[in-house]
Amino acid sequence: MPEWIVKLQKDFITAFVEDNRWKYLVEGIQNTIILTFFALILGVILGVVIAAVRTTYDKQYTEIKNPVGKCFLAVGNWFCKVYLTVIRGTPAMVQILIIFFVIMASSDNKMLCGIIAFGINSGAYVAEIIRGGIMSIDGGQSEAGRSLGLNYVQTMWYIVLPQTFKNILPALANEFIVLLKETAIAGYVGVTDLTRGANIIRGITYQSLFPLLAIAAIYLVMVMFFTWLVELLERRLRKSER
Amino acid sequence: MNGNHLIRVCGLKKHYKDGAIKALNGVDLEVSKGEVIVIIGPSGCGKSTFLRSLNLLEVPNEGHIYLSDVDITDRKVNINHHRQKVGMVFQHFNLFPNMTILDNMTLAPVKLKKATKEQAEKKAMELLRVVGLEDRAGAYPNQLSGGQKQRVAIVRALCMEPEVMLFDEPTSALDPEMVGEVLDVMKRLAADGMTMLVVTHEMGFAREVADRVIFMDEGVIMEEGTPEEIFNHPKNERTKSFLNKVL
Ligand SMILES: Nc1ncnc2c1ncn2[C@@H]1O[C@H](COP(=O)(O)OP(=O)(O)OP(=O)(O)O)[C@@H](O)[C@H]1O
Ligand SMILES: [Mg+2]
Repeated sequence: MPEWIVKLQKDFITAFVEDNRWKYLVEGIQNTIILTFFALILGVILGVVIAAVRTTYDKQYTEIKNPVGKCFLAVGNWFCKVYLTVIRGTPAMVQILIIFFVIMASSDNKMLCGIIAFGINSGAYVAEIIRGGIMSIDGGQSEAGRSLGLNYVQTMWYIVLPQTFKNILPALANEFIVLLKETAIAGYVGVTDLTRGANIIRGITYQSLFPLLAIAAIYLVMVMFFTWLVELLERRLRKSER
Repeated sequence: MNGNHLIRVCGLKKHYKDGAIKALNGVDLEVSKGEVIVIIGPSGCGKSTFLRSLNLLEVPNEGHIYLSDVDITDRKVNINHHRQKVGMVFQHFNLFPNMTILDNMTLAPVKLKKATKEQAEKKAMELLRVVGLEDRAGAYPNQLSGGQKQRVAIVRALCMEPEVMLFDEPTSALDPEMVGEVLDVMKRLAADGMTMLVVTHEMGFAREVADRVIFMDEGVIMEEGTPEEIFNHPKNERTKSFLNKVL
């Protein structure tokens, strides 16, 4: 056997097998998935609420009769706009540092901080995806709903949003993929995510090749698996129209 | 109040762009139950704006609209309730593409609790049979021709059992060979006693079906009368020149 293969074999064993170091990666995968999943849920909730406030303000403001409701909506819309501007105008890394070391400095639940930080970040992008999706639906759709006597919320819920969801699914999937990869910076604030797992192994073994290639491959597989899931879903949704 | 009138419109005005465009400039009209009114006029004269303000898809700036003696321009009335009584058919059909024909038709009656799902479906199937589309109940709008789509749009509105039907150029987006099938459905509806307001360029339909023809121009009703009066003996110069162009 050539010299270099023997060396690679040895390096591989040092990186993953010795002292069960592969467990750092397994833990990392778990944490990355947990972080991404809950951050996405938070992001979607925030995104839906913000998109609802923004589109209701745009479409319904003149129709609302109650002056108190009108005032709330205007203030809410203003807050949403500020949130979108700040979140989309600053680097995610900076936001996360601020949440960890300023806003939630007293919390030692790092995972929770991470979920909140990434969720707040993602919410801004999800909100604009949803709002764009709603605006792309032909106005005749909601006019038809309203002319049948359905109210604004019913028209949105039964007619506009189902069509929106199908249109924005690719963009939402993309946002999920971006989020998944972006959680790689969570290690900077001490969340033991996948990237952090590789860095721990590098710190112990002074080897970079195998740990880094391994996590690159793992991220890739996760993204590909998810992409495949979304394609399945899209195909099912599309079947209902043609 | 005059109980004979299903719709009474007084001094209706609508402007856009802070008054720069006067789409409606004082429209008065009374519509009796069962009447078929055809509205004609040059492009941009306010026909659509007028029709759309009758169910408040456009909110007028001035004037009143009484529907069965209730002023729907009053901010206190629940407009959703009144819209249930006013069916509307659009130029571009506006069917819901993500639902089957049957679901298009039953959505509003079921969600608004006018009928159970079974009742609504039974009624929808009856109406589809009338317009010859009962075998397409499970199809999606994209699978239908333009004429079929518009027939579905008409019966979708009828599922709410409206008291009046508004048609805004219902055949303008159709290929010529499909115009007839839609007009036939509308003629039938008129013969069954439905109160109808129809904006159309189909003068043959107006002559045959209308009780009254209204000529609009520059946001007002310039002339109105029976089809015979308007088409054969128009008095207003504008009416004459418009008819010369289209007939
Ligand atoms: N949302 C709007 N904003 C600004 N102007 C409008 C709007 N809707 C209609 N208008 C204007 O109001 C006038 C009347 O429009 P309307 O659509 O009622 O005409 P119409 O008689 O239906 O014409 P057509 O035969 O072309 O459909 C036109 O000058 C139009 O440009
Ligand atoms: Mg028009």
